[in-house]
Amino acid sequence: MKRGQARFSRSGRAEKGARLDFRVRKMIGENRAWPVFTKEGTARIRTLLLVAIAAVLLAVWAFPILWALLTSFKTERDVLAYPPTVIFTPTLSNYRDVIFGSASLLPNLVSSVIIAGVSTALTLLFSIPAAYALARLDLPAKRASGFYVLATQMLPPVGLIIPYYLVLQKVGGLDTYSGLILIYLTFSLPFAIWLMVSYFEDIPREMEEAALLDRAGRLRALWYVILPQVRGGIAVTTIFVFLNAWNEFLFAVVLGGNRVRPVTVAMFNFISVEQTLWAKLAAGAMLAMAPVILLGLLAQRHIVKGLTVGAVKGGGRT
Amino acid sequence: MRGIVKRHGTFTALSGIDLDIEPGEFFALLGPSGSGKTTTLRILAGLEPLDEGRVLLDGEDVTAREPGARDVAMVFQSYALYPHMSVFDNIAFPLRMIATPKDEVERAVRDAAAKVHIDHLFSRRPGQLSGGQQQRCALARAIVRKPKLFLLDEPLSNLDAKLRLETRVELRKLQRALGVTTVYVTHDQEEAMTIADRLAVFMEGKIVQTGAPQDIFSRPASTVVAGFIGSPPMNLMPAEVREGVLRVAGVDLPVHRRLGAQGAVTLGVRPAALRIAPSGLPARVYLIENLGDTAIVDLDVGGQVIKLRTEQARELREGDAVHLTFAPESMHVFDRDDGLRREI
Repeated sequence: MKRGQARFSRSGRAEKGARLDFRVRKMIGENRAWPVFTKEGTARIRTLLLVAIAAVLLAVWAFPILWALLTSFKTERDVLAYPPTVIFTPTLSNYRDVIFGSASLLPNLVSSVIIAGVSTALTLLFSIPAAYALARLDLPAKRASGFYVLATQMLPPVGLIIPYYLVLQKVGGLDTYSGLILIYLTFSLPFAIWLMVSYFEDIPREMEEAALLDRAGRLRALWYVILPQVRGGIAVTTIFVFLNAWNEFLFAVVLGGNRVRPVTVAMFNFISVEQTLWAKLAAGAMLAMAPVILLGLLAQRHIVKGLTVGAVKGGGRT
Repeated sequence: MRGIVKRHGTFTALSGIDLDIEPGEFFALLGPSGSGKTTTLRILAGLEPLDEGRVLLDGEDVTAREPGARDVAMVFQSYALYPHMSVFDNIAFPLRMIATPKDEVERAVRDAAAKVHIDHLFSRRPGQLSGGQQQRCALARAIVRKPKLFLLDEPLSNLDAKLRLETRVELRKLQRALGVTTVYVTHDQEEAMTIADRLAVFMEGKIVQTGAPQDIFSRPASTVVAGFIGSPPMNLMPAEVREGVLRVAGVDLPVHRRLGAQGAVTLGVRPAALRIAPSGLPARVYLIENLGDTAIVDLDVGGQVIKLRTEQARELREGDAVHLTFAPESMHVFDRDDGLRREI
């Protein structure tokens, strides 16, 4: 490259050109002595491969969603056309029906927001202090309680439905918001605690010790020094807990159903014995998915970081 | 800071530590890793619970006090800077925690940062600082509140060699300027020797000697200290004292001074006190490490390795047979059994 720059160094414009040329060549990987088996070369090939694999995976994952999106704009007649049509006259009638019609999903969306929102908020409220304590304090039964927390995740949910039903019936919690939220907490709390513990453990103890010496005291050390450093973890936990509560169907249909009917349950009504209203179902699904996708996009960065937590020890600090 | 006795833990990490640190003093805790020096520092800070003993600060018993209530500041080995705060906020943190008025915080932070020359980096995050700058930031955070006691846990160990030497000098100057009592933990004896007014040598959870660096160097209290201080440390050889004669490695050396000790002793001689001479202890050269101005020569004396520090290694070849001698006053004598120093 030195030679190239020298050649153009006569006038300012040529130099600018050379720099641009350099940048372009750097971008396309032309700026090296040996064209092939350099480190950058292999890295480039690897990147290409990764992109290709990602594209295939994305296509597989995205296809059903795209198909549902397409379906949501079809009439019920178009849905049943065989072979399926890709070209059709799009209609908004499905959306009109699921938003404003007699089968409006809006009240159910509100229900979902209440259930998922409150259970997420409560989960965070309890799991953060619990996880911090588990990560930091030398509690006597620390290992045992850690196992217990995780063990609750191993139970198949179906096995719990009947006991939960009976318990809620006894305390008058069937078909109430508080009942369903309570049940969701039994799942989300252990999960959230388990997730948050690993984030807290990644923070060196010296952080609190420094804060303690700086006269912060335990609570302020947690609030000002530790919590800001586990923001990512809190974001990931929020998303996972919210998603789980939002997507939950089994408990909602059995333990809720009439007064408390989240959108997942309500959508189920489009499937009946006589017919399945595929287009409306698809429109409803799109509507139900929208907040979740929005949330995912907002926190994408944190989620990716969260999934690789622990992969690079102390990666956040230098 | 007065008299401290501390014992600690189930396996007794510290057994009976007594320390008196004078006001305004630069005091070093020196010892190999695992010797209890950092634990001692953490006990001073209140970060480590202790099983027995008391910690007194200015005559006041602070043993039961929380770290924040002791008015001590600490620089951690890892610096423990708050990564999500700017340099300014990091330094200001200890002041804000006691609700200091805003303009006072501003003034104190600028003042502290100027003392360690990082007042141009206020808006950076710790992650954007070099190792040396991070260290300065940690220092500034500690000095900003003008503590009674200043604790440093191996603050230089994460710096590269050149920066370490520079910072060492600056640290000393800073401590003099502030006049604050400082306790400094290090495993680097050169660091401790150059920087401290006094130091305590730790071995296996005990203090084996306390004193000024020069005293410890010239009058090590035991073979343990003698074998630790100095680079390379003192040569220790089994010897026997009888009627004005010192018998080392099968050779009788005439001693013209009265030796208090009799019988089996351990003889200690600093590598720099040994001389190559026409007669004396027979030795064979087997390795020469050239350091530029001086050289460390490894010699075989009756099957034992003896190190010699000399400026005239050029005449020596590996394999040469030579004789060693030393001045009687450079000799140290220790009891063979308990390893304690015997005055001669």
